[in-house]
Parts: sequence; C-alpha cells; structure tokens
Amino acid sequence: MNFNFSRRTTVWLAAIIVMVNGFFPAVWILLTSLKTETELIRSPITYLPEAATLENYMTAFTAQPIGRFLLNSVVVAGLSTALCVLISALAAYALTRLRMPHRNLIMSLLLAISMFPLISLMVPLFKVMRELGLLNTYLALILPYAVLSLPVCTLVMASFFQDIPPDLEAAAMVDGCSRVGALFKVVVPLAAPGVFTAGILAFVNAWDEFLLALTMMNRVNMRTLSVGITLYQGEFAFPWPLISAALIIALVPICIIIAVFQERVVGGLTAGGVKG
Amino acid sequence: MSEVTLNHVAKSFGPVNVIKGIDLQIKSGEFVVFVGPSGCGKSTLLRMIAGLESITSGKISIGGTIVNDLPPRLRDIAMVFQDYALYPHKSVFENMAFGLRLRKLPEHEIQTRVNNAAGILQINHLFERKPRELSGGQRQRVAMGRAIVRQPKAFLFDEPLSNLDALLRSEMRVEIKKLHHRLGNTIIYVTHDQVEAMTLADRIVVLQEGNLVQYDTPDGIYNRPAAKFVAGFTGSPPMNFAPCRIGEGGRVLHVAGGVDLPVPARCVDECARHIGREVIFGLRPEHIGVPTVDAPGIERIDGSVLLVEPLGAETLGLIKLGKHDKAAEVTGRFEPDARLQVGQNLPIALDLNHFHLFDCKTGLAIRGNGW
Repeated sequence: MNFNFSRRTTVWLAAIIVMVNGFFPAVWILLTSLKTETELIRSPITYLPEAATLENYMTAFTAQPIGRFLLNSVVVAGLSTALCVLISALAAYALTRLRMPHRNLIMSLLLAISMFPLISLMVPLFKVMRELGLLNTYLALILPYAVLSLPVCTLVMASFFQDIPPDLEAAAMVDGCSRVGALFKVVVPLAAPGVFTAGILAFVNAWDEFLLALTMMNRVNMRTLSVGITLYQGEFAFPWPLISAALIIALVPICIIIAVFQERVVGGLTAGGVKG
Repeated sequence: MSEVTLNHVAKSFGPVNVIKGIDLQIKSGEFVVFVGPSGCGKSTLLRMIAGLESITSGKISIGGTIVNDLPPRLRDIAMVFQDYALYPHKSVFENMAFGLRLRKLPEHEIQTRVNNAAGILQINHLFERKPRELSGGQRQRVAMGRAIVRQPKAFLFDEPLSNLDALLRSEMRVEIKKLHHRLGNTIIYVTHDQVEAMTLADRIVVLQEGNLVQYDTPDGIYNRPAAKFVAGFTGSPPMNFAPCRIGEGGRVLHVAGGVDLPVPARCVDECARHIGREVIFGLRPEHIGVPTVDAPGIERIDGSVLLVEPLGAETLGLIKLGKHDKAAEVTGRFEPDARLQVGQNLPIALDLNHFHLFDCKTGLAIRGNGW
C-alpha cells in the first residue's frame, strides 16, 4: 500500500511540474495580452489584469495584416502536413511491409537525417528556391517543411503500421483492393492514431518554424504568423501586450486542431480484428 | 469451371526452396485439404494460389485461366484466415459487404447476398457489431460470411479453426462440411490437424518439407500411405513402426527383438523381391489387440503390458512384443473390458493382413499389387 501511495504521489508531482512548465508561459502571455502597457510596466507588478481589455487584440488586427499571416500559415502548414503525411505513409508502409533490403540502414538514415540542424540546410535551400523562382510563393515553404518533417513522421507511422496484422491487408487484397488500395482503405484507417500523431507533429513543426519562413518570404503579405509577429516590435519599442495578443491569436488554431483530433489519437482501434 | 491446377509450382526465398515443384489437379467442386507439420510449406502454397506470395517457377491456373501474374483481387478467390482478419473499424455487415462494394455491386444486390450468407451462418443478429464485440466462433463465421458473399471460383481456408477451442472446433468443422455440401464450390483448406483433414477432405495433399508426398482420398492416405511420413502423420495414436529384415523367400519378417512374423500369402511375391533388406515394419494400433478368433493373417505373440491409457470408449496399451530386452514396443487398441494391468503378460493378436513396409532410407512404402 505504501508503495502504491508513494507511486501515486510521484506521478501527480511529475504531472503538476509538466503542467506548470507547459502552461505557465501560455497563461502569462494570455494575462499580458489583456493588460494595458501602462499596467504591464508598473511596479509592483500585477498578476491578474486590473482592467482587462481586448484593445490589444483589435490593435493586433489593425497594426499588421495578421489575418493574412494567419491565412499564409494555415495554407503552408496545412498543405505541407498533407504532403508529408501522404509521402511518409507510403514510405512507412514500404519499410514495414515490403521485403526490402537494408531496411534497418534506411531507418537509421532517416533518424540521422531528422537530426540535421536546419541552419546547415539554409543556404542550399535558399539557392534552390531562388533558382526555381519559388521565393515568396507558398511552395518555397511547403516543400521544405514537408521534407523536414518526413523522417519523424515516417518513423512514427512505421511504428504504428508494424502493429497492424499483415493478414488484414491480405484479406483486403483478396477482397478486391490493390496494394495501395489496401494501404489507404485498411492500414491507414487502422493506424489513425499514428497518422494523426504524425500529422500534428508535422503541422506544429510547420506552424512554429521561423528561420525558413523569414528567409524564403520577404514580402509582407507572404509572411507567416511566426515571422509576422516580430513585425509588431518597433525599432525602440516592444509593445508586449500587443505581441502577446498576436501570440494568443497564433495559438488558437493549434489548440483547435489538437482539441479536434485528440480523440482520434487513441489506441485500441485494432482490437478484435484478429485473435487475441 | 473452377478447377485449380498447379503445374510444377516452386517457390524459394533466396537460397531456401520452400516449395519444390508441386503438380496438383483439384477438380471443380472438390474439397482438398493441404496437411503437414509446421514449416512444410502448406500455408505458403495456399498463399501462392491466392496470389499473396509470388511463385518462383511453374504455373497456377484457376478455372482454366493461368493466374501467375494476376493480383489476388483478379483471381476470383475468397480466403478465410487463421486470425480471422476482420476489419476492426467496420461493422459485421460492412466487413461482409466490403468486397462487394469494391466491385461496385448495386446496393440491393449487396443487401441480398449479405443477408443470404448471414442466414446460412446464423449471424444476422450481429450485423451492427464490431469484430471486437464478437466471440472467436462468431468472428470465424463472419470471416466465412465475407468469403461466401463473394461467390468466388474457389474458397481458400488457412487453418481457420486453429484458434478455437476443441468443442467449437468440432462444431465449426461440421458447419464447414455442411457449407461445402450446400454451396458445392471448390475448397482448398490448410490444416496441421489430421483429424480435420480426414473428416473434411474429398482428397488430401500431404506435404513434407515443400514436397508433395501423397495426394489421395482420406481412405487412401490412411490405409495405403505412400510413405512412412504419411503413415506416421495420420491416425491417433499413429502407426507403430519397428525395424525388420525380410527373410526366408519373402515369407518371414524378422522384427527387431527376435520376433518372427509370417508374411500373408498375397504379399510373399513382393517381399521375395526384397529378401535380406532392412526395412521398416508398420502396423496401426487397431490391428493390435487381444486374440478373439483365429483367422488367416492373425498372428499370436506373447507380450507384456508397459503402459495403460484408458480413454473410456477404448483403452490404449503400450505392449512389448516378445521377451527380448530390445523387443519392439507397440501401441494397441483394446476394449475397455480387457482390463489391462501394467506388467501383465498376455497373448497379443497382430492382424498382419494390414501390415505396411517402408524403405529404411527413402521412407517410401514397399507395396505390391493387391496389398
């Protein structure tokens, strides 16, 4: 009993640390976004806004074209995620199901590639995009984002595909599917938790990315949110409440996506299909 | 027209030959069982027929069409898997309808076929359930239903009953046999269980290490085994074997342990061709028992009981033939009222009209005309 109790306490303690660590900055930004600049710099500091105001949010929309930034981010992150999930599903399937020589080597290389520092790819990527005339187009970000998330998405999906009994695919192929048909009609729906996990990873990576977005897009109306938010700061001024409001606006789509898909990211979907 | 023909079909994984050139003709409407121990290649051969495994050489034809290069979906076969392989994300109805939807059949046709198949298998009440809400037996019925609705040229069963408990297995065995009578399709069925093979099959294919050892009716497999492997694989308990030498003009078998057995008159000619050869003598347990009547070919021998296994309807006794230390030990079937006791000495009757001889090296049966 003692052991159980102490174990539970430890788990709770760990959970609280993770929660505070994760949520404190977000909550602090939310509170800041509701304060006026005067209240923010006042001493002693106030934790809760004395007179909560939505003015910063309204300014966020008028001071910069944040709606456009939002649209750019949604397009870039959405399309790069779709592309990445599609390609990594095929790659993960090949790695887990086909009799492939040097399978483990390929997996290790994928892992190695996912560890490349982005900065080392910057110059070559920029040159390629300039040569292709893709600078200041969505493709300049969609293609590299899809590629950058590919290794980790492939590895995540491969681990989920591995758990799906090969006989299910065989059954689908006998029933009338082609191999690719069986992949998308049976394997992918069953690996939904893995597919959504990979999708969320790819989406968040693309949504948060700054360096490439700054380099590839230099026209204001092509900026993504992560870069757009930096435009709120002046040469000598940091309007923190305004920047916080913009940050909160940037957080909302991510929160919505995770809230919508979190139910899909549950295991146990394959239960009962085969014995055991 | 749904005969299945295999023409020197072989399969190798790298340097390993798993199927070594098999020729087979399965008639339309026939129930054929592939049987053999684990690793003999029976499931691989079935999957090759299904198109789930490529073939290295040879030809496979289904209903007169060579299907070597056709993917599974174009071979017009349906398959039932050992692990059921039901789609966990679909309801029972949708599992059964999946293949029909892929073939874009009209909705009313799908409804009719699924309802008919479900009626045969008595699973109409399960339509809305997901596979995880079904018992093992129900899942296997759904898997069979999914095959039936397709109305294919041939059904392939890959050890469909091996995950069920003994009682359910014998029930489902009866169901499958009834289903074959009712539908009359060609069925190819893989099992490692010789009881399933004997009870279900019109003809049995016995496989060993990728070779076809015998292709015959259950009666032929049991009573005229082509090799020691087949004889030892069928029957429970299996056939008794003892090394022996053929002597005296083919009229006597000198069985290890100093027991001499006379060869029945109709077999002497064939045995005479093998005089002096070391061979293996085989006799099934039902041909070893307590002497009741004297008849030609029945030989009485003194034996002693080493072990008794009462099974209720019959008793199995492990008997040492003769007095010699190295005497052969054989299992016999006895009536329960024989009241065998361990250590008991008693006369044993061997019905030599049903004996078998096998070559020591090749294991192949030595058999003359009229055996």
